[in-house]
Amino acid sequence: MNKKIISILVVILLAFGGAFLYKTLMPKGSEGSKAVTVNVIVASEKINYTKEFKTDELLLEALFRANMDELGLTLTDTQYGPMVTGLKGYKADETKEFFNIKVNGVDSMVGIKEIPVNDKDVYTFEIKGF
Amino acid sequence: MIRMYIPLKLRDSNFTVWDIVLIPMLSATLTSGKMALSFLPNIEIVTLLFMVYTCVFGAKKTFIISIIFSTTEIFFYGVQTWLLVYYFIWPLLIFLTSLLFKTTNSEWAFSILGLVYGLSFGFVFAIFESFFYGLSYGIVYWTRGIPFDLIHGASNFVVILMLYKPLLRLLTQLRNQYIGNRKVA
Repeated sequence: MNKKIISILVVILLAFGGAFLYKTLMPKGSEGSKAVTVNVIVASEKINYTKEFKTDELLLEALFRANMDELGLTLTDTQYGPMVTGLKGYKADETKEFFNIKVNGVDSMVGIKEIPVNDKDVYTFEIKGF
Repeated sequence: MIRMYIPLKLRDSNFTVWDIVLIPMLSATLTSGKMALSFLPNIEIVTLLFMVYTCVFGAKKTFIISIIFSTTEIFFYGVQTWLLVYYFIWPLLIFLTSLLFKTTNSEWAFSILGLVYGLSFGFVFAIFESFFYGLSYGIVYWTRGIPFDLIHGASNFVVILMLYKPLLRLLTQLRNQYIGNRKVA
């Protein structure tokens, strides 16, 4: 039994040691290792916003949530996940328009919750009518 | 009074009624075991249960259990790319366990398998994720999950080392009891 307890303690210590090494040795990524561009276009309001973000986030939702003020972001929770309903202070009229999402110029089939953040990606959010 | 042993076998099927009852029941124990510990990050008993089930009930039955378990996960979480990996990763564990069980029955060997399995869990997922979202995403996915893999590996080691033998003994006893009762009344 002692042998078991000792080995359990050793494994737990090694795990803690590994976690400590991970924390100290991993790049901090304060500026972010990926550079992505976010465009917001609302033609009716003459909003044409472009900004590059440096990030380590995996998914667009996390990047957006971390930059809520900068993006003037409003999210609405739906059964399919968060939906972008407002950007740069413009709130979409949900009865007749929506923010169309393009990833590198191609219409996205999924929302920001599922869009992965890849280096050099361009995300365009443009108001479109139904 | 002597009761006759009636093989409760379905026509054109290798499954007995016992299998048909047992397989969903064991799948349910996996799902409930996972749910019960879901508030703890990456600490689970699913790996242990798959190992014990493979040793007691065989790889074939446990493989079916893993398919039911993985499909049940989809009902809870919806179709996610990470859930598709379940259809590969658990059968792989069953395969490795059955290979190991042919050579040893030591809880140490299974604990080490659980440890390695937990540590490489995120890596396997990262490989699959990179097929969907690209290599850079896979690398970030893996590196960001390393602390969770460490917890997973260490907790697997502890759980299996402490519970593998008692659980194996109990389930083997129950299985043998049932088989004994089934043959002779």
